[in-house]
Amino acid sequence: MDSIIILFITGLIGLFVGMSKKPVASLLIASLGLIGAGLAAYFRGSYTSPFTSYAAYVPTQGIVIILLCAVTLLAILGGFKRYQHDSEHTGDYLGLILFSLCGAILMAQPNDLMLFFIGLEILSIPIYVLVGIDKGSSTSAEAAVKYFFTGSFASAIILFGIALLYGATGSFQLVEIQSNLAIGIWQSPMAMIGSLFLLAGFTFKIGAVPFHFWGPDVYDGASNAVLMYMSTVVKIAGVYAVVNVFGQVFRDSYFFWIDLVSLLIVVSMFYGYITAWKQTSFRRLIAYSSIANAGLMLFALADTHNSNLFVFVAAYAVATIALVAINQATNDASDSLANWEGIAWKNPLIGVSLVLALFSLAGIPPLAGFFGKYTLLWSAVPHVPYTAMLALIASVIGAFVYLRLMLLALKKPTVSMRIQLSVEQIIVLVFTALASVGAIYFI
Amino acid sequence: MQAASSIGTSLDFYLFVSFALFTIGAIGAMTRKNMIVLLMCIELMLNAVNLMLVTFSTYYNNGDAQIFVFFTMVVAAAEATVGLSIIIMAYRNLKSIDIDMYNKLKN
Repeated sequence: MDSIIILFITGLIGLFVGMSKKPVASLLIASLGLIGAGLAAYFRGSYTSPFTSYAAYVPTQGIVIILLCAVTLLAILGGFKRYQHDSEHTGDYLGLILFSLCGAILMAQPNDLMLFFIGLEILSIPIYVLVGIDKGSSTSAEAAVKYFFTGSFASAIILFGIALLYGATGSFQLVEIQSNLAIGIWQSPMAMIGSLFLLAGFTFKIGAVPFHFWGPDVYDGASNAVLMYMSTVVKIAGVYAVVNVFGQVFRDSYFFWIDLVSLLIVVSMFYGYITAWKQTSFRRLIAYSSIANAGLMLFALADTHNSNLFVFVAAYAVATIALVAINQATNDASDSLANWEGIAWKNPLIGVSLVLALFSLAGIPPLAGFFGKYTLLWSAVPHVPYTAMLALIASVIGAFVYLRLMLLALKKPTVSMRIQLSVEQIIVLVFTALASVGAIYFI
Repeated sequence: MQAASSIGTSLDFYLFVSFALFTIGAIGAMTRKNMIVLLMCIELMLNAVNLMLVTFSTYYNNGDAQIFVFFTMVVAAAEATVGLSIIIMAYRNLKSIDIDMYNKLKN
């Protein structure tokens, strides 16, 4: 709760400071708020929500809040060049991001479906605005329209699922829902249909097959700065929410939905990686890679201890932010992959962090992405062996997608063009590189 | 879990109406082209859920769901606000509110 209050207050202050048109001041306040929220989560640890009369069912783990705050900090630092350029709206960008982070924290580990739904909306509504914040551009408008309509449709679907679950069990508290489902109510059609509606809504929000179609268009139309935030935080919060709701509350109906989830995982991964192979636009490639990674994240459902999810989502978020930050630094105006040719030679830092990020996403051993995939798949193998095997095959295809991008970036250019990075870009690239390498010390 | 049903057998009728409203909204949201109508369809879906929540709340003699209805209304209002401003912004760019005109982002 402390983290949410700190984020909300600094978001408000950030909005007012934004009027002074001093981008650095807004950035400073937002960063302080994020650091403060992370520290509050660190010192308070898990907390009990004041909205529930019971002990928290799934206590919000401080570590997830810290991860969300750290990823958001990287995203606003990486996108700062863009906000600075658009100095009239710096406060709006940062304020909206902080408000939406409040929702992400609320929804990531819910103990009450009512609170979860409100968190989901607090997360989503600012992002609809952020996607369309570039008012003069028709692609931004198109992306905002598509994201708004698919997103609010998904919200309505999730709400319908929650209402059906309430009808089946008579409560919004996850503890009571779980204990009521455990005595056999999950076999009632209302609870089954409700859980399927919830699953459909969740796949919409995290962008997994079959409700992934908005992803590429929205990622393509949003600016790089917004993409850094929405491709990471939304996915982390959504995946933690689905793991908590399905892995904990619906664990008695495990054999009812696990086959369906396995199917979603396999189709997401193959579809995402194979389609990513033939993309010519960088942001679309990131979108398809994120569809495949969303499939991988769903593996956390196979084994209901969600502690194995953390390393993988952290590695994915850090690597994606590094790649988008590099794209923004070198190639912000156009989005074509052709411009990626030889960019690793433009600046040594870009080269190093690009190689580390791509190796990490591809899952090459000493990096964070490998450990993430390893812990995630290893805990899932006893439960869904065939799915895990197919996922390994898909990961190999994915590794080729990332390696192809790397070969493109490492092609020696005929004329060398050096570019200068700004301070906050250097911070982001150094930190993401360190995080990709440093994961080995935490395993 | 004790169903003290002051609502009696009419529960089914309320549920039927709310399922029908939700289905109408969902089908409309998937097939209509005008963005204002799309927004109305999504509102219809949210309000169908409201009806269902109130029905269950009466059925279980439990006020939680009625509180949830207020939250849903606030959320629907916030969504409508943001949605209408996005539609206006999109109209200024493309001079159309037909969703099929928004097809530039394709590979």
